[in-house]
Amino acid sequence: MLAGIARPGSVPLAWRNLVSNKSRLLRSAGGIGFAVLLMLMQLGFEQAFFESALAVIRGLDGDILLQSAHKYQFATRDPFPRADLEKARDVAGVASARALYADWFDFFWKNPIDGKIFLVRAFGFDPAAPVFSYADVNAERDKLKEPNTVLVDRRARRFLGMDSAATEAELNGTKVKIVGGFALGPDFQSDGTVIMSDRTFASLLHGPAGDPAAVDLGVIKVRDGNDPAAVQQSLRKALPGTIAVFTKPELIEFERNFQAAVSSAGPIFAMGTIVGFVVGMLISYQVTYTDLSDQLPQYATLKAMGYRTGYLLRVVFEQAAFNALAGWVPALLLSLLLYYVIGRLALLPLHMSAHVTLVSLGLTLGMCLISAAIAVRRVITADPAEVF
Amino acid sequence: MCATLVAEPAEAPPVAPTSAPEPAVRVHGLNHYYGEGEARNQVLFGNSIEIPAGQLVVMTGPSGAGKTTLLTLIGALRSAHEGKIGVLGRDLSRLGGAELVEVRREIGFIFQMHNLFDALSAYENVKMAAQLGDAAPAEMRRRCTGILERLGLGHRIDYKPRFLSGGERQRVAIGRALVNHPRLVLADEPTAALDKDSTMNVINLLKQQTVEHGAAVMMVTHDHRIIDSADRLVHMVDGRIMSDVVLHDALRICEFLRPIDLFKALTPRQLTDVAEKMTKRHFAAGETIIREGEPGEEFFLISDGEVEVIRADREVARMGPGDFFGEVALISGEPRNATIVAEGEADTYVLGKTDFQTALATSQSFRDQLYRVYFMRH
Repeated sequence: MLAGIARPGSVPLAWRNLVSNKSRLLRSAGGIGFAVLLMLMQLGFEQAFFESALAVIRGLDGDILLQSAHKYQFATRDPFPRADLEKARDVAGVASARALYADWFDFFWKNPIDGKIFLVRAFGFDPAAPVFSYADVNAERDKLKEPNTVLVDRRARRFLGMDSAATEAELNGTKVKIVGGFALGPDFQSDGTVIMSDRTFASLLHGPAGDPAAVDLGVIKVRDGNDPAAVQQSLRKALPGTIAVFTKPELIEFERNFQAAVSSAGPIFAMGTIVGFVVGMLISYQVTYTDLSDQLPQYATLKAMGYRTGYLLRVVFEQAAFNALAGWVPALLLSLLLYYVIGRLALLPLHMSAHVTLVSLGLTLGMCLISAAIAVRRVITADPAEVF
Repeated sequence: MCATLVAEPAEAPPVAPTSAPEPAVRVHGLNHYYGEGEARNQVLFGNSIEIPAGQLVVMTGPSGAGKTTLLTLIGALRSAHEGKIGVLGRDLSRLGGAELVEVRREIGFIFQMHNLFDALSAYENVKMAAQLGDAAPAEMRRRCTGILERLGLGHRIDYKPRFLSGGERQRVAIGRALVNHPRLVLADEPTAALDKDSTMNVINLLKQQTVEHGAAVMMVTHDHRIIDSADRLVHMVDGRIMSDVVLHDALRICEFLRPIDLFKALTPRQLTDVAEKMTKRHFAAGETIIREGEPGEEFFLISDGEVEVIRADREVARMGPGDFFGEVALISGEPRNATIVAEGEADTYVLGKTDFQTALATSQSFRDQLYRVYFMRH
């Protein structure tokens, strides 16, 4: 039995140690909180990066998505023959198979206000066969049937001028009519997006890039009552090996894995979080070590009185956990403010999610408990005979 | 102080009747060292001591004499290198780590430094010890409050150590040590930071522990206010117990010796010197204490019981508490002139021949008195 630890009404030593010295508590909470804030910002940026990178895929109105088997990232052009998409229509269980044309590197947008030219992301689809689930896009899609009409991203970066009241702009040197807008927002690769009909898309691109026979993404809807996984298997059998067949969640996961593991962005954010963790561990270690050193005779006295080492460990770890919470709570509140401000400035989906909340709490507890585990050796080796 | 001292030699195993209860502390042949290899340094040398329940023992001696080391060994805070330590009926050398912790819970430690938690109130600091016991929460609260009130801290129960004076902090630490009514209290200079009134308060509390709860108290101190209250004085020098004095016996012996002509001429200091060399010895009913015709080696003073004086197989006299015998053979060098037999259970204080003769040489008047007694008995 660890004496005195489970008894109701026993002295809450760890809590008393935490709150007895307000200035010390403020210092330790500030130090640990700073490291937690570093981690929260990294986790928030990482989450915003993924969410913005995956926003378009999430916005596709399909159960199964087709793309070139060689395509390693959504934001790269690697089209496949439209004929393969036609084949997909004939597969049992497929309700519709629609084409999405996409480009990240060939559409140059001229700001209608100041005339400056910028690279933008562009999507094209048959207005009669919608592929997006964005309500604004679907509401205005009939207007896209008119040549050289576009919908613009009202949440695009301001320097593109897409949020202005302008009704005309230039795309690849051609005048286009702005017939509506939608709210998507930029990501870490694109500053803004325009959506148009497949015909306009092809007409604005010259050469092979504008070939309507080359599709970037096939958006498949499964007929009601059919199992998407079974339809996916049927599609794989029906289509050549050059076509990759994903369910929507699979493609999201595929893209996430690329960003997290292959692209440089994922490791950069992870490294930022690790740096915050290590900084927090050092601060937490210093806090715990100093506290234990100051109270070493007291802990040795407890040993002499008959407290087991297990009780002392529990007190130290409990106090480390309290320190973690004392740093985490204010850092979380401050990060909410920073997320709001930075999100507004950078037009990124920075928000506190349950995932970020739990991960940051876990990391904070982890860093404080690990540092306590290192520092607690001092208490374990404290010799009660020395207090005489 | 007029004290006739009853000492047990440090090297000899203590003498105790077989029917005597288990002492709170029993140390025998204890050697202890610090350091390793060539740096190994012996700090305790063959010490033996028994402390019965209910006794307040004060340990004195110069710095580095080994007092604190002895306390830490008895308190199961260190392991003995050689010798035996029995505490509260358990042989410490046979106990594992968890059992040693259990032993420590039955000991009240009072350290020179109070070592209170700054974050806890006086009440909570005491409760840290109380919650190690089995008392129910209400009883625990009553005990903690009670001991603090008893120590004159009833009005400062909720104060944190930084708002208490040095003496008050030390009293809280004493309360922490005594709150569970430990069967053994080990204290190192517990009253160093206390004023006269607080010291007497603490001493009375410790005495109360010995009387009401039968606790044995072993205390290192140089505070003479405490020495006067001790039941027993142990003096250590250079790692050895040089004297071990039971003071209530000493006072009793003083009362015995004062009216006797033989000792009247001795100054209190000389009397103390003689008595320091005396050991207590018990005799069973019918046991022969000295035998006629044998060489005389010891001087006896009767503490309890009666003895018969037999010459030529005939009882010639009886002696009781306060009477003495055996001095004639020591003075004359002749064999014993009578046999002395314990009539019932008898306790005596015994002085060896060498010490007796040393005392004889010390005081001319003492020698004269002895010779007068010698010739009177002849």
